[in-house]
Amino acid sequence: MNPLHTLRRQWTARPLRLSLAAFALILIATAALLVLRPRDQVPLGPQRAVTTVNPKVGIHTRLTDEVEPWKIKRTLEMVREMGSPWIVEYFPWAYAEPQRGRWDWAHTDLVIDHAERQGLTVIARLGFVPEWARPRDSSPLYLDEENFADFGRYAAEFAARYAGRVHYLIIWNEPNLALEWGFAPVDPAKYVTMLKVVYPMIKAANPDMQVLAGALAPTLAPPGSPDGMNDLDYLQAMYDLGAADSFDILAIHAYGWYSDPDEPADPQVVNFRRSELLRDLMVANGDGHKRAMITEGGWNDHPRWTRAVRPGQRIAYTLRAYELALAEWDWLDAVCLWVFRYPWDAKSYQDYFTFVRTDFEAKPIYEEVRRYTHGERGEGMP
Amino acid sequence: MNRRARVSLWLAVILLTTASVLLWLSNPQPSRLLSRLWTRQDATWAAMQSRGTWRVGMDPSFPPFQSLNDAGQPVGYDVDLAHALAAQWGLTAEIVPIGFDSLVDALIAGRVDSVVSALPYDPRLTRDVTYSAPYFEAGVRLVVRADSPITSTAGLTDAQVAVEWGSMGDMVGRRLQRAGGALTLRPAATPDEAVAALVNDPSVDALLIDQVSLRQAQGAGAAIVAIGPALESNPYVIAMPVRAYDLHTQVADALSRLRADGAFDALEERWFGPQRAP
Repeated sequence: MNPLHTLRRQWTARPLRLSLAAFALILIATAALLVLRPRDQVPLGPQRAVTTVNPKVGIHTRLTDEVEPWKIKRTLEMVREMGSPWIVEYFPWAYAEPQRGRWDWAHTDLVIDHAERQGLTVIARLGFVPEWARPRDSSPLYLDEENFADFGRYAAEFAARYAGRVHYLIIWNEPNLALEWGFAPVDPAKYVTMLKVVYPMIKAANPDMQVLAGALAPTLAPPGSPDGMNDLDYLQAMYDLGAADSFDILAIHAYGWYSDPDEPADPQVVNFRRSELLRDLMVANGDGHKRAMITEGGWNDHPRWTRAVRPGQRIAYTLRAYELALAEWDWLDAVCLWVFRYPWDAKSYQDYFTFVRTDFEAKPIYEEVRRYTHGERGEGMP
Repeated sequence: MNRRARVSLWLAVILLTTASVLLWLSNPQPSRLLSRLWTRQDATWAAMQSRGTWRVGMDPSFPPFQSLNDAGQPVGYDVDLAHALAAQWGLTAEIVPIGFDSLVDALIAGRVDSVVSALPYDPRLTRDVTYSAPYFEAGVRLVVRADSPITSTAGLTDAQVAVEWGSMGDMVGRRLQRAGGALTLRPAATPDEAVAALVNDPSVDALLIDQVSLRQAQGAGAAIVAIGPALESNPYVIAMPVRAYDLHTQVADALSRLRADGAFDALEERWFGPQRAP
């Protein structure tokens, strides 16, 4: 044997073995870090409470796609600091049950834990169908009747898991729009069937859970429109089809577009007081004993959008809307306006619905609402 | 090289050649594949040349950048800019009216060659579209009277600063306050009232307002000037298909030429009135 070759093999074999060992160690350490890393590296912090002069003030948060725990916590801290005791948050079914029977509550737990610690009352909006529960290539907002029980099982699991911590569930969103109904023909009968399937499943899992229905988009869509159905007609159809026994609270969407919140209600106009027409329908159909909640609404101050107002108008209208609900609408518990913050800029008129920028810088409307809820309203207003 | 290494090399060459041939044969348009692999042919620019027009997407609802005149024709700063650019290339600008929120989708779908519509830069879309350099900075400016001693935000100590209530200027003002600036904000209901406060009320020292409102006020005769760079940037850009390499270069060159020969200044004066230097 050539001694030179032996020496060369020794010199090449040793570093190779060492490299392999180091690589294996790195792999093991990385795997351990991934497996053992804490789910929430952000401490919940002390129990907090909301300070506000108006207990009906609320906001729709948008934490659905917010991944980082500190951003979830910061969002909910800022909501509390704004003086808003209520939030509406969206909890997609597809995220919680990506495969039939395989549950992942990590993100939902995170949001509920932090909201509870900030002293906020969560109104949970449920929807967004997982792929396994809908036809191939269909919209995540499409659900066949044969899968209503699957959706009911998700809602029941949610209701049971958060019993005593979450008290309000909204079933679906704006079912009177084709877009929100998976581009299927808008059909109040199908929605009422959904309610009749899902409602008893929720109640069986958690009898104290309050079920919100409706959440109808305010729209003047003419009869036969492929895009949607007039919300007043839709609600009446729901009552005609026997929906009253399948919900506890009516969810209302109250967008003001370019109108003052004091503009009188009119069936031919979409404005903030259109909420009163929905309330009239509740009373007319023997549901006057039930409560209502505004779970979306508000104004937009985009400089180019045709349904927008000036930023100062948006602030004034928003404060007046909160005040109006407190002073005049004893049948309403919460006014949750759209929307607190987006995880990223939409770069469209949608950004001008927010109260806080993506980077958490408070917009003037946030600061004015905070001043209002802390009894400082009026100072410095034009 | 020993025998084993030579065999390995030959095997690699054979495999690579086979894979290339299969890829070539499996593609319905081999020449297009080649052009993509070996050249950077710009299909948008080529189509513009053969068509003789530059299809420009625009939402004509934002004067003075773009709107419709009494005859229903699009007019405005962006319309003139589009025509000026197209003329540089010997083409005609064909304005395609599209709603603002659908402009980028229309571009990606190939309905238009570009978007010129007071479009703010959006870094999230750079995988789908490419942008020109900014041609108009519409962000928030610090504005003072033409004879003011204030030359920067550092001079705002104890100053009274007008803002449109709730606007981006208001937000920037509150940001300066949080940073320790001892300025007092004087909110007004509209941009016009905020400008009027600076122009007519001696107790108001400065104004925080967007560049579009500022230029409109200057054009209407207000003796006010902007100082320093934008305090909150909002640049308007031209959007193009992400693979429009030639068009991107042509736009960059044409914008430079327009800037160099004073055409940009003339364009701004035409739609906003005379500028005022600080």
